[in-house]
Amino acid sequence: MSTAPKTVQSKETPGLSEKGLKAGSVGLIGAVVIGVSCIAPAYTLTAALGPTVSEVGVHLPAIFLVGFIPMLLVALGYRELNNAMPDAGTSFTWATRAFGPWIGWMGGWGLIAATIIVLSNLAAVAVDFFYLMLAQIFSNPALGELSKILPLNIATTLVFIALACWISYRGMETTKGVQYVLVAFQLLVLGWFAVSAFAHVANGTAFDATTISPDWFNPFAVDSFSQFAAGVSLSIFIYWGWDVTLTMNEETKNPEKTPGRAATITVLVIVIIYMTVALATLSFAGVGETGLGAGNPENQSSIFAVLAGPVMGPFAILMSLAILSSSAASLQSTFVSPARTMLAMGHYRAISPKFGKISPTYKSPSFATIAAAIAAAAFYVITRTVSENALWDTITALGMMICFYYGITALACVWFFRASAFSGVRPFFFKFLAPLVGGVILLVMFVKTAMDSMDPEYGSGSSVGGVGLVFVLGMGVILLGVVVMLVMYRLRPEFFKGKVLTRA
Amino acid sequence: MRYVVGYTANARGHDAVHLAVALARNHDVSLDLVLVIPEDSPFNAVYPPEAGYNDILNEQAQRWLDEGLDLVPDDVSARAHIRRGDSEAQTLIDAAVEFDAAALVIGATNSGLLKRFTIGSVASSLLHSSPVPVALAPHGYHRTEPITRLSCGFGTRPGADELLDVAVESARDRGLPLRLVSLLALDGGNSPGLADAAWVHAADRLAAVGSSARVDSPAASADSGYAAGSDAAGSDAADVPEPEIVVAQGRTIEEAVDRLDWEDGEILLIGSSRLAQHRATFLGSTANRILRALPVPMIVVPRDYTRQSA
Repeated sequence: MSTAPKTVQSKETPGLSEKGLKAGSVGLIGAVVIGVSCIAPAYTLTAALGPTVSEVGVHLPAIFLVGFIPMLLVALGYRELNNAMPDAGTSFTWATRAFGPWIGWMGGWGLIAATIIVLSNLAAVAVDFFYLMLAQIFSNPALGELSKILPLNIATTLVFIALACWISYRGMETTKGVQYVLVAFQLLVLGWFAVSAFAHVANGTAFDATTISPDWFNPFAVDSFSQFAAGVSLSIFIYWGWDVTLTMNEETKNPEKTPGRAATITVLVIVIIYMTVALATLSFAGVGETGLGAGNPENQSSIFAVLAGPVMGPFAILMSLAILSSSAASLQSTFVSPARTMLAMGHYRAISPKFGKISPTYKSPSFATIAAAIAAAAFYVITRTVSENALWDTITALGMMICFYYGITALACVWFFRASAFSGVRPFFFKFLAPLVGGVILLVMFVKTAMDSMDPEYGSGSSVGGVGLVFVLGMGVILLGVVVMLVMYRLRPEFFKGKVLTRA
Repeated sequence: MRYVVGYTANARGHDAVHLAVALARNHDVSLDLVLVIPEDSPFNAVYPPEAGYNDILNEQAQRWLDEGLDLVPDDVSARAHIRRGDSEAQTLIDAAVEFDAAALVIGATNSGLLKRFTIGSVASSLLHSSPVPVALAPHGYHRTEPITRLSCGFGTRPGADELLDVAVESARDRGLPLRLVSLLALDGGNSPGLADAAWVHAADRLAAVGSSARVDSPAASADSGYAAGSDAAGSDAADVPEPEIVVAQGRTIEEAVDRLDWEDGEILLIGSSRLAQHRATFLGSTANRILRALPVPMIVVPRDYTRQSA
């Protein structure tokens, strides 16, 4: 029975209110879990504790506390921007709207570079603990040493990056249950580590028992401003991810109260766990530069890889599991971030529109995800071959990069809201004062760290042509960004002439 | 009547649209192209936090759906929808239930290298849970002309009669010639006895199901079937030729399927396994093997399914 020809081809336009997230699905505990999992405390501590101790010694607790202040100030501005202009490009879009295409482009580049660097570091940490775990499972220390064989290490890291890229491309979702277990496990193992370390100190079996003194909490006792700056830019990294709780709105069950409370509880949980672990590590191992000492350059890349065994005994494998699982989970979810920023930049024609491609099958950024994996792999291969202690140097370079793009973002907030910021006390504080102070602090830290890192002895002591490797990595990446930006200006000037994204 | 088309902007989605058009043209059917985009889990929080990716994704989905609607010719009415959901299969089922759709049309896969049907994960979960019939387009299905013949996979297991009901009614409504296909896998080559038995059984059931079904030509000896008139599309129900019964044998089910002749415009109706829950599809192992060798589209009918009338 054939039908009469009909041509009713209409299309239902989905409402703009349809965001990607389920509304009202996250309670207070859920929001805290999300915040903690974004920070990935087990991974951040193992990566950042050593390098920070090598800069500020026993004043580690003080620096960890102080480092939170600029993070908080900038995050407040970040939240204002996110509410006013929700956009996949985040820093890129906001800085473009505030300062125009050139600074906006560099803001986006900074964000992409930071996430690319952290990807390579995450993969490398996961690989270290992967081999360490094998050694612990088979009680064969030789297996753990495999991660020190350069070609094998690089090959394994590339496999990890490729796997994470593939999972992220396929768009696999982490479920609530998995996330709860991962976070609880991390906190439990870190707590266990701290308790065991203090028990060793009490029993007199610690490596270098050091008595906790109030001086450890005094940030002004840090020897020099250089060390202070380096410490703060590292501690920015350990809180990186926290502000995700502040920006949660519709997805929470009570948008009025949950985000603020979750942010507060998250930060309390994180500060308590950081303080406990930092104090436990210092009390147990001291800051000496030999043996298990937290200041030993050999231990900088991944402090728990060295300390977990002596502290936790046979249960050290739990630490390996906690770090491996948290860095693997972060590795996969972190891929989303540079991919989406590149996608937004491609979408706004700031880079090749190829980056704006979305996979029809998986509905994820296709070209951009693969580009992020290639960049992270290339960054790792270069750093690993040039540096004596690649993980240490990448973390220091990462701290610089975060200061750079966070600083730009914070000032973009100040400038963007300059007209409305003086309409009351609340907007003055959140849209002007907090981001201004935070942004200035971060940019000062960035400049100071950049200048100091020119010293070939900086960080792990690797250098290229008489200039410190951290400087080469950090500034090299930024200069590369400038070069790429100029090429893009030649190729597709419409973005740079302000025709795509206009200044507000 | 409405059909929900699971649309993706690739070859798989195009196959599905082509098949849906072919099915709609026999019948008074409008199409609903549904594009599923994943729902972000907040527990997969993206850092740095952003909310704008979904605007870009929505914009892209709109463009994809425009392309999809362009594939639908003017004589078939079609609408497009964007749906969000964790699981593509579940979201399509929800849409089908919501629209009270008579069938779900999807492409089987986009990378069937050796066989026509390699089942993708979405198709696979649909075939194991859908409450409405699922029509599967083989890889590279380009035809949009009306369906010319309906075949019905026929066995001896419980549920076969219900399927036969659906097949007889569908063929009558659509004015299509009906062919009952009984597939036998025999290790030892031809076995006329078994083939005869299968034929007689099929004829019995057919006689029991459709009072109008008169069978007058035994075809037990044909192991590759025989051709039927193919110009029945659009003709009145009264002109429909009598159902034809074909028994195909082969060393394997796949070989039996290969030996049958299939018209370009043919479609195979097949039942769900006994493992299926009430009113749901479940692709049994035999159906799965048929699927892998089949050169034409097929429709998997849920267990205990009662047809929507036009």
